[in-house]
Amino acid sequence: MTVPSTHLLIQTIILGILVGGVYALMASGLTLIFGVMRVINVAHGAFLIFAAYCTYWLFQLVRLDPIISIVLTAPLLFVLGWVIQRYILSRIESPERSSVIITFALAVTLEGLMGTLWKTTIRSVKPEYASEVLKFATYRFPVTRLAGFAAALLVLLILYIILERTNLGRAIRATIQDRNAAQLVGVNVQMVSAITFGIGIATAAAGGSLLSMIYSFNASSQTDWITRVLSVIVLGGMGSLPGAFIAAIILGVMEQLTAVVLTLYWSPIVFYLFLFLTLIFRPQGLMGTVVREKA
Amino acid sequence: MKRLLSSNCLWITIVLLILLIFPWIQRSQYSQHVMVMTMMAAVLASSWNILGGYAGYTSLGHAAFFGLGGYLVALAHNHFGWHPFISTWFLAFIVTGVALILGWISLRTQGSAFVVVTIAMVFIFRIVALNLASITNGARGLTQARPGWAGVPWSPEFIKIPFHYIMLLLLCLTIFVSWRIRQSKFGLGLIAIREDEGKAEAVGINTMLYKVLAFGISAYFMGVAGGIYSYFFTYIDPQFIFDIFTGVTMVLIAILGGRGTLWGPVLGAFIMEPLGNWIIGTFGGTQIHLTIFGAILLIVMLFMPQGILPTLSEVIRQRGKVKLAKVPS
Repeated sequence: MTVPSTHLLIQTIILGILVGGVYALMASGLTLIFGVMRVINVAHGAFLIFAAYCTYWLFQLVRLDPIISIVLTAPLLFVLGWVIQRYILSRIESPERSSVIITFALAVTLEGLMGTLWKTTIRSVKPEYASEVLKFATYRFPVTRLAGFAAALLVLLILYIILERTNLGRAIRATIQDRNAAQLVGVNVQMVSAITFGIGIATAAAGGSLLSMIYSFNASSQTDWITRVLSVIVLGGMGSLPGAFIAAIILGVMEQLTAVVLTLYWSPIVFYLFLFLTLIFRPQGLMGTVVREKA
Repeated sequence: MKRLLSSNCLWITIVLLILLIFPWIQRSQYSQHVMVMTMMAAVLASSWNILGGYAGYTSLGHAAFFGLGGYLVALAHNHFGWHPFISTWFLAFIVTGVALILGWISLRTQGSAFVVVTIAMVFIFRIVALNLASITNGARGLTQARPGWAGVPWSPEFIKIPFHYIMLLLLCLTIFVSWRIRQSKFGLGLIAIREDEGKAEAVGINTMLYKVLAFGISAYFMGVAGGIYSYFFTYIDPQFIFDIFTGVTMVLIAILGGRGTLWGPVLGAFIMEPLGNWIIGTFGGTQIHLTIFGAILLIVMLFMPQGILPTLSEVIRQRGKVKLAKVPS
């Protein structure tokens, strides 16, 4: 164990916050889906990796910038999410009992497909600015992480505007608050569920595109990512977007600090421990409702 | 239950006899290997079923106990020379102890939250095993000496046979314990918890104690199986043994055969494990087997959530009704 200097500490926290922004984007869709449908979408990690692969191939084949490729990956995964909700998830009779197993099955199916199509080679997207670093008063800001953070904030802002300023957003929020009451006042809950799942997966697509240039990945990375994203939404409080944002920053910083204080190999345990402990000792997370349905 | 068993007595005896002579009629190493793995899958799914089927708590994290058993046995073998076939039965009690503590903590959650907690559990075990390199040798894994007895290694031709019989013994024991639990007041309590935990508590069942006990018992067989497994392969590493996919496979097998039934998990194992080996053999190094497993799990969950055995017995009952209805006319 090493005690870092103040300079290193601040540098680590900066990196943590930058990563946390991307985590927040990845987790936003998951928490939204849970809020509306009470489904814990364990396939979220697989969708992230799928989007990362799409971004990778767009970059390899037509040199499309990973951030710009969000414009393509997000609509593509929106449609995919819509279809999956419409034809698979809407058949689930009691989401509390079986949604985790069903979405896990989906994740394994996707992982196998990706592993078969694209092998186990570890990939990552390296645009021209990949190794560039901005310096600000002796602190280093890697350009990919900075750009990732900015793009994540932008997508979260768009999501916020959709939720707060449009009729669709009002319908989604109403469904989160009380599904039956929303249905009574004329919200087409089925439709809202399908759209929310689509939006949720589209934000995963944006997150995946950013992931592809910050991290390296292959198909089996999905289990690692789903636990990270799950711990974000559990710590933030299931269904709470602001909670997910705060939790993402906390976990991002904690992860980076663990990497510096212990070793890089210990750092993922931060997520698992937070996940484990939050669910047991504070199931409602920082700002959410208690997850207490029977499996 | 007793009647069901006695009416099934004949075919249980037949299957047991076939399993007893199997390695002598089927000499191919491959078939013997698949049979050991199939019986192990049946052990894992049956013991998962004690918690996941009877009490209704879906754990995706039982691979943690499987792996822990594997590590304890491998370490005891390498450092103290304890023979895995003997030590695994005792060392699995340590696994049970760990499971009782973890169960006492994690069974405060319910439903989806419990599933997620158990997923986290496997990963915590994996990271600890990866990082405690001074004990576990980290990512390089642990290697054991070639299986043998009293310093004499078994000849490669017969090497699967001892594993066949010890796994068969473990399978019989697991089914026996599962059957006894199913018959007992304890088992009824677990089923009451599955149906309505609040009401079970209200009629005076100490639900926490029951759940933790079920968790511990199911972890015991996981530990024993993990110990035998690590000796069977003579090599384990954290990536390989603390695998979330092991947990998913158990759940798939139990659900396919019939969750909460005595024989469902066994039936599921005898369907899925040979099928899985066939798929891996046919499609080789690709990961398409993951897709096939996932798709089967998806289809079973959506269209036959009861599993094969309950669905079959329902069909038979329906037919019986039709026959009865015909008699008076």
